Amino acid sequence: MNDDEHSDSNRMEATVRELLTEMKDASETIVDLAYASLMYNSKDMAEKVEEMDRDIDDMKFAIRTKILMAVRTKEDAREMTGVLQVASAADRISEAAGEIVKLLHVPKEERPFINEIINESDEKIMMTRISPKSDMAGNTIDQLAVEASTGTKIIAMKNRYGWIYNPDGDVKLRAGDDIIVNGSLDGFSRLKKFASGDLPWEFPETEFAED
Amino acid sequence: MDRLDSMLLELKDTSEFMVDLAYSSLLYNNRDIAEEVINMEVKMDELGDEIQKSLLDMAQKNPESVMKAFVAFRLQIAIEDIANAAASIADVVLRGYASSPVIHMSIKESEWTIERATVSETSVLRDKTLGDMRLWSHCGMFVMAIKRGAQYIFRPDKWTALREGDVLIAVGPEESADYFIALADGSRKEF
Repeated sequence: MNDDEHSDSNRMEATVRELLTEMKDASETIVDLAYASLMYNSKDMAEKVEEMDRDIDDMKFAIRTKILMAVRTKEDAREMTGVLQVASAADRISEAAGEIVKLLHVPKEERPFINEIINESDEKIMMTRISPKSDMAGNTIDQLAVEASTGTKIIAMKNRYGWIYNPDGDVKLRAGDDIIVNGSLDGFSRLKKFASGDLPWEFPETEFAED
Repeated sequence: MDRLDSMLLELKDTSEFMVDLAYSSLLYNNRDIAEEVINMEVKMDELGDEIQKSLLDMAQKNPESVMKAFVAFRLQIAIEDIANAAASIADVVLRGYASSPVIHMSIKESEWTIERATVSETSVLRDKTLGDMRLWSHCGMFVMAIKRGAQYIFRPDKWTALREGDVLIAVGPEESADYFIALADGSRKEF
């Protein structure tokens, strides 16, 4: 393999890795968001699920094209077969999330049992507000490393501009913002103390953040 | 919560945990964990059949419950799809197709591992709660789930007591894996 081809294949790996990571993350969040849309009876949230479902579908096609263009050897083919299977699985999960939000067409009164099930789940969906006293105010989701610190993930939030679903890590939290998170009850009780300002936020080590 | 709702709850919880475990088995290229996902898939199929029969039975006995049956059917199918997708991810590991560096993505750099260990009769963990043992502060291993007989306890809390025969599924630093397994099998008696 000459140098050009080698760097080509490195670039392909990087792109495929990025796409696959994004598909994995999105396929995990989209299901939480789908249940949350039923719980809060939110059409907006359901639309975000449909949008993410389309994005994941696009990524699946993109990853297939990248891989088919780059595979040269039998060994490459073997490695990439696994990647393709995972990409398809992530897509199937997101399609299932799309099916879950379709239940929003059924009037809320006809599906009270779904909310009971969501409330009893190991993974809870809960809402809290950022107090002006909280250390979280003024920091981005990435700076706080909310998921690593509390085991809960922000799947939606409402700030002065309106709702944001599946917010990116660079979104800044401000006093008065409402956040909807998914996670364990233990994690949520911790998060609530941080959000109310009762507990000072424990910022992750900077050496980790720089990496 | 009636029996039907409890079954749906178990179906939902299991499917979410399967996705978690399936991606973990992939990132750590761990066959034990992939096997657990496949075991859960078998259980999900049985549970799915039982739910469908109950729904049909309910709708037949009480025509007013047809709408609930319809909604529950749709939900059950979507959840089973999620579980199937998780199993197909675990299948990549079991068939030996998870060796690509692309798959290990970023998480592998942190040198974490996922381990399965059984609590033996002589283990120091036996009859202790997770809160007592504080495995996480001792060695950084975090217990994600416990398999007890055919049942799984997902995301156990500090009050969960460990019994002989419990299979623990834990994530943590690679260097703690042997230590964790030795605590469970009884070959190591102290922290």
